Amino acid sequence: MSFEPKILGIACNWCTYTGADLAGTTRLQYPQNLRVVRVMCSSRINPSFIFKAFQLGADGVLVGGCHPGDCHYNTGNLYARRRLAVTKKILEFSGMEPGRFRVEWISASEGNKFAEVVREFTEEIRNLGPQTKFKIS
Amino acid sequence: MSQTVTPFLEMSQAIMEAGGEALKKCYQCGTCSGTCPWTPITHFNIRKLVRYGQLGLDGIEEFMWGCSTCKFCVDRCPRGVELIDIVTAIRNVYSGGGMLPQSLRAFVGSMSARGNPWSGDQAKRNDWAKDQYPLYAPGTEYLFWTCCTVCYDPRNTKLAKATAEILKLSGVSWGIPSVEVNCCGESLKKVGDLELFDRLKSANRDYFKANQVSKIITVSPHCLAAFKKDYGEDYEVLHFSELIARLVQEGKLSPKKDLGGVKVTYHDPCYLGRHSGVYDAPRDVLRSIPGVEFVEMERSREQSMCCGGGGGGLWMEKLKGERLSDLRIEEAMATGATVLATACPYCITMFEDSARTLNVDEQIKIKDVTELFLESLGINIDEPVVDTCAL
Amino acid sequence: MSRIGVFVCHCGLNIAKTVRVSELAQFAATLPDVVVAKDYKFMCSTPGQEMIANDIKEHRLDRVIVTACSPLMHEQTFRKVLSASGLNQYLLTIVNIREQVSWVTHDIDEGTAKSKALLNGAVNRARLLAPLTSRVIDVNPDVMVVGGGIAGIQAALELANTGRKVYLVEKNSTIGGHMAQFDKTFPTLDCSACILTPKMDSVMQNKNITLMTSCEVSEVKGYVGNFDITVKQKARYVDHDKCNACLACTEKCPGKGVSEWDEGLVKRKAIYIPFPQAVPQKPIIDRDACTYFIKGKCRLCEKVCEQKAIDFEQQDTFSTMKVGAVIVATGYDLMDTKPLVQYGYGKYPGVYNALEVERLFNSAGPTGGKVTMRDGKEPQAIAILHCIGSRDKNNYEHCSRVCCMYSLKFAHLFKEKTSADVYQFYIDMRAAGKGYEEFYNRIIEEDVKFIRGKGARVAESADEPGRLIVEAEDTITGKFIKLPVDMVVLSPAMKPRADSKDLARLFNLSTDKYGFFMERHPKLAPLSTMSEGIFIAGVCQSPKDIPDTVAQANGAAAEALTIVVKDKMELEATTAMVNPASCCGCQNCVRVCPYGAPFFKEDKGVSEINEALCKGCGLCASVCPSSAIIARHFTNEQVLAEMEGLMEF
Repeated sequence: MSFEPKILGIACNWCTYTGADLAGTTRLQYPQNLRVVRVMCSSRINPSFIFKAFQLGADGVLVGGCHPGDCHYNTGNLYARRRLAVTKKILEFSGMEPGRFRVEWISASEGNKFAEVVREFTEEIRNLGPQTKFKIS
Repeated sequence: MSQTVTPFLEMSQAIMEAGGEALKKCYQCGTCSGTCPWTPITHFNIRKLVRYGQLGLDGIEEFMWGCSTCKFCVDRCPRGVELIDIVTAIRNVYSGGGMLPQSLRAFVGSMSARGNPWSGDQAKRNDWAKDQYPLYAPGTEYLFWTCCTVCYDPRNTKLAKATAEILKLSGVSWGIPSVEVNCCGESLKKVGDLELFDRLKSANRDYFKANQVSKIITVSPHCLAAFKKDYGEDYEVLHFSELIARLVQEGKLSPKKDLGGVKVTYHDPCYLGRHSGVYDAPRDVLRSIPGVEFVEMERSREQSMCCGGGGGGLWMEKLKGERLSDLRIEEAMATGATVLATACPYCITMFEDSARTLNVDEQIKIKDVTELFLESLGINIDEPVVDTCAL
Repeated sequence: MSRIGVFVCHCGLNIAKTVRVSELAQFAATLPDVVVAKDYKFMCSTPGQEMIANDIKEHRLDRVIVTACSPLMHEQTFRKVLSASGLNQYLLTIVNIREQVSWVTHDIDEGTAKSKALLNGAVNRARLLAPLTSRVIDVNPDVMVVGGGIAGIQAALELANTGRKVYLVEKNSTIGGHMAQFDKTFPTLDCSACILTPKMDSVMQNKNITLMTSCEVSEVKGYVGNFDITVKQKARYVDHDKCNACLACTEKCPGKGVSEWDEGLVKRKAIYIPFPQAVPQKPIIDRDACTYFIKGKCRLCEKVCEQKAIDFEQQDTFSTMKVGAVIVATGYDLMDTKPLVQYGYGKYPGVYNALEVERLFNSAGPTGGKVTMRDGKEPQAIAILHCIGSRDKNNYEHCSRVCCMYSLKFAHLFKEKTSADVYQFYIDMRAAGKGYEEFYNRIIEEDVKFIRGKGARVAESADEPGRLIVEAEDTITGKFIKLPVDMVVLSPAMKPRADSKDLARLFNLSTDKYGFFMERHPKLAPLSTMSEGIFIAGVCQSPKDIPDTVAQANGAAAEALTIVVKDKMELEATTAMVNPASCCGCQNCVRVCPYGAPFFKEDKGVSEINEALCKGCGLCASVCPSSAIIARHFTNEQVLAEMEGLMEF
């Protein structure tokens, strides 16, 4: 049996989560490996959430927020952007493959983009194989 | 032909002025060309014809003769475009410029010189009658308008006689016109020669006026449509099938002879059906005949197929595979009928030709409703009965 | 120990087709703390809701999980069920297995597996949920309408007629918008000014409307029910309180500016009113065209003004309005067609855009309503090109919706006012409105020529200098058309106002990629936005015709009213709070909050959060180094527990 990765998504309520809903409303098809946690804003995401996800055995983590400048909370995602960039560096520093963590800006009208990103990311994680670096079994 | 064109609105204007006003109403949806019986079998495309007309494009003359004016498209057009008027106008504008096809030249020439399309001697117009039937004179009730085709075409003179024989028994007051009359001009008009049509029409109208004609019985639906729509007078015009149906209903004529279970189907002539709205009378007549098993073809009444003889089609050569009458014969035979009845001399001519060329003239007989009715009256016109009234 | 109830919805076949719903319910029943798990055809139906309510009572549930569509659809519906059953509404969890599961897969195994994982996460999270109390706030009864076109006018009048006080903010010196530029309106051909100017006057006369022309919104603070909106009054250099609208100044003024009103086709004075029926009827000075501002002397207007209303020293001023709701109705611009060089706009004087042509038809326009071109001649042949920039991936993908109809209207007016041959070059004719197809039919019968094929190029005629050649394929015949004409009219794409993205930022609205404001839901909430209390109407949302715009304006007025009609309203309770025991006083939260909700209590050395200002984004919680800030309903523990549940399966 081929490797079916587990991917954790964290999406902001206003853009990416709504965009994901739009992907559904328009019946776009994408792999079911992603499980999304909804938060109000990408700025709510504490780096520890990301580390925890990998500890829990996520093979990949996808974060989605509003496009920079279009945040529902004006400036929230600008903070998120910087913080998640640092998070990515720390992950890489710890030996995690860079491809396992991804941040995407997907607006409420970009159902297409959401589906596309999920397809692409799932494929990428599938190629990377199971994540064992952080996983606590 | 160049692919680059510039609209030439003067031409489009000329078409509109020649009666094709409806050009501008068309939004090119394709209902007409999707409906037209010619579209599947020839290059003729009625929608394209209109389009070329709208923009005054060159090349229109190459396919303007394809239409047989069956009126199917007109009845279905969502915009109420009078497509036949457009066809007529386009032909008028172009044939005025000398673009009449060879096969129609004899037709128009004969119309012009002799007042009929069959190059017949005008003096011999009533020869078929052999002086057996009364001439119309003022005071007679009905003018039995003998179509040129039934006067001159040997196959159709049978139809003329059949009609006359039935009239004799009908008890109505009737007479045939004198030889001075012309063709009604219906096909001539559709061919686009509006000027000559006007000439013939006005001569006929003069005759009607001089002889105080107000009620006309026609044997051809084409004459019927012309008198009703194009002559601009309030004549009471009846198609012969309508008259028979009425007489049967009133009990004045009753068919007695059993035709022995013959299976008959009926083809609606376009000019009787769609053009004139007469669908039931010929069917009523057929149903009144004992021993006739009447069957409908799939396409009938308002949805009927065209025989191809209208709009000048009767005088134009069509290639094999491009003949509607062939298709119609096949359709008739598919019902199992051995008689294809109709009520128009043009249809009869077209179908007789097709039955012969398809080599099925033994399997299916082409008959006018009138002829069948006469048979059921027990009269054989091949051996004319002695006119008892004349004795 | 929690007592959790799980309710799995089939949504007809929407969910049940790709998720085995009963299996999901059976699975739920095996999870710890789940005391009841059921599936049902339509959970949002009355029987579905009653089932949940009954189970809450019967099983003494203290947590409810509804496994159904997106929380953005029915969270409120089910929250009400909880409240009505005496359970705090925040103890509800929605699991989205429709939009994010059943609709995005065809594989029932995958769909079921993913649903189980999501449900497992939800059960984990539900255990940790805490009851929350909504804040109740006072509501300001006034409304602001931004944009004084037909949408803004209509909305303002509707609201004012209910007795509300309305601030109508318009950036130009008159209200009326584009509609005031039109000559006739399709399909009835009634005169635009005749139906619009009475409404403009009503605005002026209505005591409940504060008309603010030459004004722009510069800052938006606050929240639904309590917005503080700062408006910039741009300097007019005429004191409108003193001006008595005698307009003597506009006669004497030697300055020449470009008439925006006439789409640049003619000049106007430097001190001017845009058009005779402008509201207000008081002039402003165009600084860039004014001789005094350019050269330092002139002041003729000042000399003739008996009211002493001219004030060259006037400055922009700012004032702040308090309102409970806002309607944004800022309308549109036409796309600039100059970059589409193939059409020669701006290069050939015979090429016009649609608004310019509107002005040519208008009797108050630059030609007095005569159709004469820039060279003074009447055109003999005219081509109207549809879809210029619309329905075009390279420019604007949307259909601008009104161009077919106004192009038909142009054709009619050209036929009426000239003897020209008129051609329409179109892709599809879209006449879907009341009376529109009939209008199309009427225009067809006026012998307008229709070429089905988009105009591809406009070039100068080689044979006839000054004439233009329109090239296109007539797709009906497959022929390539070269049509000599005198005049070409482009029907360009409608796009949002150039500053719509700035406005979106001010009001916290989302936009599509072109800058049209996004509605909360395309079908069910077309006038609401993601920002509570801000509504949209008219073309700023998407291209539409006048009837639709007016209908939206009325709708937006009603929506705004539903907010300001109440004295008080409840807000979301999902705000942040500081646990003073662990706060280290670093003030990170104070620095990052976009709303200024956290503040530092010097005396205690800790931060606190003003819940009235907090919008619940959770930013502060994630920057707090000592985890002293709790983002209610999205606490660290809740999020992490959910993640744990998701990763378990």
